[in-house]
Amino acid sequence: MDEQNLILRIQDLDVRFRIDRKSEPFQAVKGISFDIPTNTTVALVGESGSGKSVSAMAILGLLPENAIIAPASRILYGARDLTKAALPEMQAIRGKEISVIFQEPMTSLNPVFTVGEQIGEVLRLHMGMGMRQAQARVVELMNEVGIPNPQLRVNSYPHEMSGGQQQRVMIAMAIACEPKLLIADEPTTALDVTIQKQILDLIAGLQERHRMSMLFITHDLGVVGDIADSVVVMQNGVIQEQGPVKAIFESPQHPYTKALLACRPRLDRRPKRLPVIDDFIKGDGRPNLAERTRGTTPEDPIILEVKALNKTFFLKEGLFGKRAIPAVKDVSFRLPKGKTLGLVGESGSGKTTVGLTLMRLHDATSGEVLFEGRDLLALSEREMMAYRRRIQIIFQNPYASLNPRMTVGHILVEPMKIHAIGKDERERVDMAFRLLERVGLAPQSFYKYPHEFSGGQRQRIAIARCLTMKPDVLICDESVSALDVSVQAQVLNLLQDLQDEFGLSYIFISHDLAVVKYISDRVMVMNDGVIVEMADSDEIYRHPREEYTRKLLSSIPKGWQAAAQAT
Amino acid sequence: MSAVLTNPPPVPAQESPGLWTLAWRRLKQDPVGMVSLAIVAFFLLMMAAAATGLIAKDWSKEKGVSYANPSFLAGAENLEAKAMAARETSKAPPVDLSDIDPLAPRYKEWEERAAKIAVTEVKRAESLPFGGDKWGRDVLQKVVKGSEVSIFVGLAGALIATFIGTLLGAMAGYWGGRVNDLLEWFYNIFTSIPYILLILSFAAVAQATGSFGKGIFSIILILSLTGWTGIYRLIRAEYLKHASREYVKAAQAIGASNMQRMFVHILPNVSHVSLVQLSQHTVQFIKAEVILSFLGFGVPVDQVSWGTMLAEAQNELVIGKWWQLAAAGASMAILVTAFSLLTDSLRDALDPKLK
Amino acid sequence: MTAYVMRRLWQMIPTIFGVILLIFILFNWVGGDPAQVLAGKISNKEQIENIRRQLGVDQSYWVQLWVFVKQVFTFDFGRSWSTNEEVSRILITRVGPTLTIMIPVVFLETSLAVAFAIMVAYVRGTLTDRTIMIVCTVAMSISFLVYIIVFQWLFGFILGWFPVQGWSESFWKNLTNYAPLPIMLAVFVGLAPQLRLYRSFFLDEINQDYVRTARAKGVSEKKVMMKHVLRNAMIPILTNIGISLPGIFVGSFLLEVFFSIPGLGREIITAVNRSDFPVIKAVTGYLAVITMIVNLLVDVMYKFVDPRVSFK
Repeated sequence: MDEQNLILRIQDLDVRFRIDRKSEPFQAVKGISFDIPTNTTVALVGESGSGKSVSAMAILGLLPENAIIAPASRILYGARDLTKAALPEMQAIRGKEISVIFQEPMTSLNPVFTVGEQIGEVLRLHMGMGMRQAQARVVELMNEVGIPNPQLRVNSYPHEMSGGQQQRVMIAMAIACEPKLLIADEPTTALDVTIQKQILDLIAGLQERHRMSMLFITHDLGVVGDIADSVVVMQNGVIQEQGPVKAIFESPQHPYTKALLACRPRLDRRPKRLPVIDDFIKGDGRPNLAERTRGTTPEDPIILEVKALNKTFFLKEGLFGKRAIPAVKDVSFRLPKGKTLGLVGESGSGKTTVGLTLMRLHDATSGEVLFEGRDLLALSEREMMAYRRRIQIIFQNPYASLNPRMTVGHILVEPMKIHAIGKDERERVDMAFRLLERVGLAPQSFYKYPHEFSGGQRQRIAIARCLTMKPDVLICDESVSALDVSVQAQVLNLLQDLQDEFGLSYIFISHDLAVVKYISDRVMVMNDGVIVEMADSDEIYRHPREEYTRKLLSSIPKGWQAAAQAT
Repeated sequence: MSAVLTNPPPVPAQESPGLWTLAWRRLKQDPVGMVSLAIVAFFLLMMAAAATGLIAKDWSKEKGVSYANPSFLAGAENLEAKAMAARETSKAPPVDLSDIDPLAPRYKEWEERAAKIAVTEVKRAESLPFGGDKWGRDVLQKVVKGSEVSIFVGLAGALIATFIGTLLGAMAGYWGGRVNDLLEWFYNIFTSIPYILLILSFAAVAQATGSFGKGIFSIILILSLTGWTGIYRLIRAEYLKHASREYVKAAQAIGASNMQRMFVHILPNVSHVSLVQLSQHTVQFIKAEVILSFLGFGVPVDQVSWGTMLAEAQNELVIGKWWQLAAAGASMAILVTAFSLLTDSLRDALDPKLK
Repeated sequence: MTAYVMRRLWQMIPTIFGVILLIFILFNWVGGDPAQVLAGKISNKEQIENIRRQLGVDQSYWVQLWVFVKQVFTFDFGRSWSTNEEVSRILITRVGPTLTIMIPVVFLETSLAVAFAIMVAYVRGTLTDRTIMIVCTVAMSISFLVYIIVFQWLFGFILGWFPVQGWSESFWKNLTNYAPLPIMLAVFVGLAPQLRLYRSFFLDEINQDYVRTARAKGVSEKKVMMKHVLRNAMIPILTNIGISLPGIFVGSFLLEVFFSIPGLGREIITAVNRSDFPVIKAVTGYLAVITMIVNLLVDVMYKFVDPRVSFK
């Protein structure tokens, strides 16, 4: 790492957003400073709302129109202060000396131009290349970023490519002019786990080969461990800690950094409770390391059994035809009472469809779901009502699963009314208050609307809603995937407490292997609608038998495991 | 678990605002929105007053001379009035038919009787506040009365159209399948025929046979039966979007019935779209009514509408009488502008896009 | 693609029948007995019966429906009830004048609206933008009737630049003499709503992620607008034009009435006034079919404009 030569120096960056005419502008970045040396990867880490993306976008002046950069801020690039540079000057730098890769490749690419045209645009603009010359170079670039058949793919449109390939196109656009600094804003967050690893390897390799610096923005510390040279940790618009990656991982100073490092579920240990940020800020920071054993035995009583479940979607095609898309193919499994069954897979594997079909939110094509001896799929809608209470689901998106027009109180009382729980309104309201307390929310929440709560709090409301019906089985469909790491830990702890207290049985669906291993007793791996492997969680991680399982396991960023040993 | 709470905490001092409260607050901060709201409210009050007969009752009385000047042009020349007056005074002397007229002997008796009854000779006004039309009717009163018709038709038509469109859109978007196919077929039929042509077809039948009822109810019916399609499309799209949202799946998971999902869960999330559509269609229908009345397919001849005023104004402009055109044109422009701006402000207040 | 077109044509059939049904219900059932109206002052029962028989409205509904269906498919709608001219001849001769006005209108209106919309979108948020939007709103609130009356008075009567009314046999004379004023009027009035609409299309596109990417590549603001945004905004703009295309055949009936242009629009108004059902039925039926075909053409053209669309 070159200490003398700096590519970029950020000093006292202060960014505010104008919301409307009356209110004070919202301060997203509160005066931060850090450096980016040459030929170095700096990771900018933080949870949502930390200001990391805003800081990065400020460098190239790509902030939205209502953003205000305070005059005291300086972004020094060579001799120039980019915050004060004129637009044409910035335009000459963008894409040529400093480039960006964004998080969502599908929407970041222009849908009406071919990928060849879009990559070529940078070359023609900054390098003055003619059409044919640019075309040749584009093919070279596409090869370098690992797109197969570049001569053919040059004429493809973005929507004709997969997410991973689209991101490769974005990368090709970014490195085309050999920039000195590459800003990567959560480039792998929207991709599948196995693809993530490929893209990360690609980016790391390119950085080395072209000797660029990189500013890598992410919320995932695991990724940081793999590729960063130095780390900057942000929270609420402020830098809490920064330093070389080894120092950050081995001897973190700030409680927030310690908390971030500790509250991710790990693959090698399974503490009874995941440490949360509060533990570090209020306590001494040494989490309780007592472990919990997990596993199943053949004698465990079974509460739910699924036999040969099939779900096929039909799309119209041709003049009169239909195309069959099988999403779930002959899935069978057993859920032991009081235990957690983890269901792991990438997007498109069919894992969410299994959950929805179990609950009859989708109509199954065939198969049986046996609950207390009765096949739920064979019941009429009215008979099913009696069982609806007993199997509930918590969805992935906390922002979409609560009706924005209903107060929390209404949301909680409604299921009780439908299932005639509680003898009158008073009793139901009482129960609602008790549940709010149980999930850790203030009693005032009863009168509030969902939009006043954060993601983690909304998931708690969703959990409380399920609990009003005293279910036996709870399906968690990617219920913590959309949450920040620290919040995730809190919700996972809550779910575990509830299982211990009420003897709930869980089906935990996720793409995140570390989380699944932590919370599950038994794990099923799904790929392309089929269960590839099923075993107790410790077993599956120590001795994976199938190739796909091994592939999934190897995609977990290793830097985390290696760096986290010392904590 | 803690003991049962017998006293739930009281409603917090700082209220939790719902959609409508928030929207109202936003609207209050929008000066353009508030001014438009005031203007629209003013017109609505005017309409109510006119409907109950409080004002503009005598719009059809021929109070003024022909083409009376407006007050601010009071002294100007009025050739037409003079011509009219001249015609009346230059009547030919009556022909004496007393020798063959059987009633002739009685005339003198009747004249004496008539003279005993006091007859108020109404002097026609030389000028009226906004001027007079060809028959000397007060333009100001006509404008006010005309607004009653136009606004009532616009509002009533829009209410019915919004109701139909929302209901059908909800059914098509939520149920899908056969219900959707049937409603889409229906929608396609109505939209294959260009809108104006559809209205004119209905108007033709209404005119020829009176099958749509009398007078303005006929126009209201025509406009609403042809104008529901836009609302249907939007509401259907909204229901399609919401029906696959997780909160609706969650409602299904807890056992809410289809009716509950459609109207208790989704409708409150969609009603703001209906409201904006209502506002927009009111504007559209007011404009349509004016044109229909102009062409003669609108209000019956014994009623006044801005459209009929414009029809009269068409011929008045060339002889320099511009006040009926200005009055009708301007009041309509003010109302429609205010309503359009109100629609925009409503839309922003209910669904603000983060700028 | 042939499969797609075939499927669409197949799907059109129920709609065409639906339109036929609607027209029939409206004119033959609801409006079933205009004989009284047409008979006018003749209250002789025998003569009314005679008229009924001539018009064919004395038959049962099923027979009438069958007759109508036959008429539709043989393109023979009989004769006008008022002028006794063959309806098909009426339609053919009136379309010309209407299109002479409407085609230039569509062309001019769209080009001007797109050009202005780009300019306004470029300066979005500024005072200019907001002023122009308010001016558009006010302009849209004034009734078309007022515009026509004022324009006719100003340009025809006072200034004498154009004839106030009239039409001739020569196409060229029409285009240069009689058409300009109505065309100008239509474009002037139609510009405001189109401008607002197209501006919203442009603004929707400007807020998209791909615009940020273009800026990140160093593309100038002007190029962002004229290349990246315009190309994407053309999709909804062309769709919008496509949807309004069938309307040009009815044209602006108000203009035709005011300017005495012998077009299809004026014909329809006259027919409505005289309760001349065959003419109205024919125009409605034909235009419905034209609308469906134009919609299909627009959807097919869509594929060439938006690469994301695929036919299944």
